Amino acid sequence: MKGPRLKIFSIVFGVLYITAFYFDLALFRYYPAVREFHWMRTDGIGLVVLWYGWIATAALASAAIAFAVPRTMAERLWPGWAWIVPTAVVVVMLIYERRWFV
Amino acid sequence: MIVVLLILHGLLAVVLLGAITHQALSVLTAPAKRRWTFVARFRSVDGQAYATPIVLLFAVTALGGALLYPQYRIDVRPTLEDLQNSTANGVFEIKEHLAAIGLGLLPVYWLFWQQPVAANTAAPRRYLTWLLAFFVWWSFIVGHVLNNIRGLLP
Repeated sequence: MKGPRLKIFSIVFGVLYITAFYFDLALFRYYPAVREFHWMRTDGIGLVVLWYGWIATAALASAAIAFAVPRTMAERLWPGWAWIVPTAVVVVMLIYERRWFV
Repeated sequence: MIVVLLILHGLLAVVLLGAITHQALSVLTAPAKRRWTFVARFRSVDGQAYATPIVLLFAVTALGGALLYPQYRIDVRPTLEDLQNSTANGVFEIKEHLAAIGLGLLPVYWLFWQQPVAANTAAPRRYLTWLLAFFVWWSFIVGHVLNNIRGLLP
């Protein structure tokens, strides 16, 4: 993955991670009590860890988008988006996570 | 084994915290009158030399955190829920998100530090560095507070 594609990857990763978290789009699930990974929700084997699956979803989808975007378009992208979009993602996440402190 | 991993994770986090803080201060605008104070010395590092080690440290520290995470979910989080300490769980959930978003930011952060400074790249480089520094500081403080929470709670 070359420069412009790396930029696209990082810009969309945060957005897709938060989307995966909000809509529960984990690529896979880990059940630590039985030390097993499952593609689908499996009841009766203890609590589930979704965090790995959200990261995997975001990484795969971001890589796909980074390769799908035409190189000329990626090169024309304003560099400022590289920090503005992730900052906006963090602000949205912090607003959502206020639920823990009320 | 889990204790060894926890200590290793904490030590890597210390190194990462130092490196990212040096670099974050190095991209501050230079003061008009340069005095050779402690802060001036602290920020007068070659930020570019820190970029690749910071990427590696962030990735390895996050990997360590990911390996420790199941133990947290099994032992610590249910205890905090029983104690109705939602604040502790909340700050840790934010730490999880910041670590994940930070992992995704590493490619572009590294890219901007490899390019020569130009008018249109100086600001993204600075703000990405500060963003990562915020992620690292949050994660460091939350990790240590939760690790010591039994002694901190009344």
